[in-house]
Parts: sequence; C-alpha cells; structure tokens
Amino acid sequence: MSATTTTLVLPGDEIPASALPTGTGKRKTLKLGPGLRHIPPSTVVATVAGALVTDSKKNAASVEYNSGRYLPFPGDLVIATVNSSAAENFNCFLTPHMPPATLPHLAFEGATKKTRPQLPPTSLVYCRVVTAGRDSAPELTCVDPATGKGEGLGMLKGGMLFKVSLGMARRLLAPKADLPLLDILGGKIGFEVTVGRNGLVHVDGGTVKITLAIGQAIQTVDEQALDDPGQKKLAAGILKNM
Amino acid sequence: MVVPEVTITHLNRADGSATYTHNGYSIIGAVNGPIEVLRRDEMPEEATIEVNVRPAVGVGSPKERHLETLLHNTLRSIILTRTIPRTLVQITLQIKSLPEEESSTGINTSLTILPHLLHTAFLALLSASIPLLTTLTSTLIALPSTSTPLLSPTANELLRAKPIKSMHVFAFSGDGRLLLNESDGAFSFEEWEEACDMAEQVCCKEVDEGGVRLGGGDMEVDGVENSQNLERWLRGVGRSKVEWEQRWKSGT
Repeated sequence: MSATTTTLVLPGDEIPASALPTGTGKRKTLKLGPGLRHIPPSTVVATVAGALVTDSKKNAASVEYNSGRYLPFPGDLVIATVNSSAAENFNCFLTPHMPPATLPHLAFEGATKKTRPQLPPTSLVYCRVVTAGRDSAPELTCVDPATGKGEGLGMLKGGMLFKVSLGMARRLLAPKADLPLLDILGGKIGFEVTVGRNGLVHVDGGTVKITLAIGQAIQTVDEQALDDPGQKKLAAGILKNM
Repeated sequence: MVVPEVTITHLNRADGSATYTHNGYSIIGAVNGPIEVLRRDEMPEEATIEVNVRPAVGVGSPKERHLETLLHNTLRSIILTRTIPRTLVQITLQIKSLPEEESSTGINTSLTILPHLLHTAFLALLSASIPLLTTLTSTLIALPSTSTPLLSPTANELLRAKPIKSMHVFAFSGDGRLLLNESDGAFSFEEWEEACDMAEQVCCKEVDEGGVRLGGGDMEVDGVENSQNLERWLRGVGRSKVEWEQRWKSGT
C-alpha cells in the first residue's frame, strides 16, 4: 500500500480496520480527521460522502470532501471580516450567517494595552484559528503564540476578495502544491495572494486590472478544475492581455 | 423501476443542493447549514432542523405542513445533531413539477410524493456535507385490490390499477433499519409485511454482497436486481459527486 490511498465512503459506512493505517513506533494512536467518527471500542464510521484518505506515515485518516460550509478547526489560516469591536476583542465573521468569532485586541504583533489596533468594521484580517470547540465561539489570533511575531498575519490592505471552493483553498494552502498558473504569472507581474482556509482568496496586484485578472483566473482554475496544460494556456492568455 | 435522475451541488448560493427527477416528479432541494439559529429555536445540545416544503403551485397548505413534520422527524434521526449543537440546518424543498395524472389517481397525494421528498432532502444534505449517521432510501408500494403489488408505481400505473386497496411508504437506513412507515387504506398485517419485505429488497443492499459469487445463472438474476437497487443507485450518486470534486487531481 502506498502512503496515500483513496476510496469512496458514504455516511454510515464502517471503515474496516484493514483500510486504516496501523501505527508504528512513536505514532501509535490513530488520528481521525474531519468526516470520521469513532464509536468505542474500535469502530470507525464515516459521517460525510467523500474520498477516504489515509496517511500511514502520520498514522491519520480523514474524509476529503469539497462541498458545504466551512467549519473552523484549530490551526487553520483564515481570512476574517471584522464586524464590530467590543471591550477586549473584535467580533469577526468567517462565513456568513454564523455566530461571530472573537479576535482579541492584544492578539496582534506589537499590541499593548496602550496601543490597540484600530480596525474599522468590514476590514479584512488574515489570522489563525486558535480554538474551535463546538461549545464556544471560535477564537482567532494574528500572532504566533511562541514568538509573539506576526509571521505575515494581520490586516489585509487594498486588493480584493474572491470566493473559491473549500477544496481549492485547501489545495492552494497545501505544502509544496504550487499552482502553475501563479508560477507563470508571478514570473512576469508582481502581485500578492493570500489564501484563507474558509474559501476566500485575497489578491492585491497594485492595479485593479491585475487584481481582477488574477482573482478571476484562480476562480476559473477552481470551477473548471484545470490541469497543468490548461493553467499554462490560461496564464498565457492573461499575459497577452496585460 | 426507473432509476431517479439527480443533479447535485448545482445552486451557487446554497451550501448544498440537489435536483431530483423520478416518475414525473421533479424537486429542487437546498440545504443551508450549520448556520446561526434564532434564540427562540436554539437547543443547548442539539442542532435545530427546519424543513420547508413549497408546492408546485400556490402557497403551502396543511398538506405541506404534514409532509414537513414527517420529513423533520425522519431527518432528525439521521443527522448527527449533537455534533453541531446550537446551530440550524435549514432544508428547503421546492416541488418543481408533478405528473399530469397526479390529481386524477384519487389517492393520497402526500404519500406518493413522500419518497421523492425524502430522497431530495437526503441528497441535498449529502451535498452540504452535514454530518450524517447513515444513508436513507425510500420507496412507495401500492397494493391494488386485483393485481400484484406495485413497486414505486408511476401515476399512470396507479390510474390503470384502480381501485388501490392500500398504499405504503417505507424508508430504510443504510444498515437496513426501518426509519419511516406511512400507510393508507385497508390492509391486513400479512399484506403489510409483504409490502415491507418488498420495499426492503429494493432499498437495502443485498446481504450477501461481497461474499462468494454464485454460478452464472445467479449472476444474471443479480444483474436484474442491481438495476433496481436504490442503495446501489445512491452509491453511484455519491461516487459521481466525489469524482467531480476530485477531478483536478486526475488532471495533475
């Protein structure tokens, strides 16, 4: 069996023990990601329709799906929209029609009780989910708790926000998964792309024309599921119009 | 029995959606959730489920309210409401078209549409990736007073088989447990049991699936059964959904 394999699962499907990775050495306990439910003592059941992904190296299993609403998980990088400012924190939205997430005033780089960041409503913040229990509002932060540095997190200025599918956002954020489209465009024109795990992409290209072109190109790749040659063609077309 | 036609995740704004066409019935289903719930409807340890059924013509009547209650109670038992507490799962089902003979069959029309509504709601939930306990399949059985039982009959078949003695709707979970039974008309227990067995055969997967394959003759019988099996159909829909979502992977 290779490191990663995929099979179709529907809700209620029991995952046989043979399909799950067996832990070796340090990683003895199996980790279950989204879409899987553990029923003691040793039954694992799927709760959504998707592709079962197992990783024998990390001893983890999860169900990969690309539909529905974003649900916050600790550690996710998200683009939040500030709604209001309370005494100690900002109330931010991750997805529409959800209870607001809290972003403490002091969770910014260099913020002290004297110098609090001023964020007007509707401003965008790139932040990380700290806690997302089902019994409390999700908590966000803009600093690395270990170093106290921003590490690229913080308010997003200028540019424009584009909606993409959750799968696309995950694909863009995955380590060593470079989109050929952005590689080619990045070689010719300068722009900044910020990807939020909640299905949002912020593009700042300096001018409206570049911002729109890049944002729409990312959305096209998402909608049509373009492969490498398709993306190269799309990138060439955009560069021609620039 | 013709296999239902389904388009899944085709509405842009909803979190999950499905259009379902079968036997002249066409229904659009949309699911939004988990979203913020009204304080008044909030439950401390469970998700609130809201079902809206909109008729093809006019505004909702007590018939739609009755269908909503049936759907609500059935779906509550398959949605894992405790994993998403204090949220709302909103299910809207718009009936798009009914078969022409629907009103002239002279039988309870809320029974004939119930399996279709259940399937649409379930597929929309699947599309919205709401955590579910199990899958759901449902069918309608009509027992005419003269001929043999009819399985998932069209409105035309019902019209020709008149008079109908009793009608039964069954819904089964993925592991073969009975989730819902609505019956109408006069029938004995034996008749009900026969109808239940018939529905179970269509809705649930074959027990010996994955076991040792029998000889050539049995294979053919298997093939006929498979084309009518709703569990298999549902799995096919799920497969096409996953393939659609994973298609960029095969490209790279």
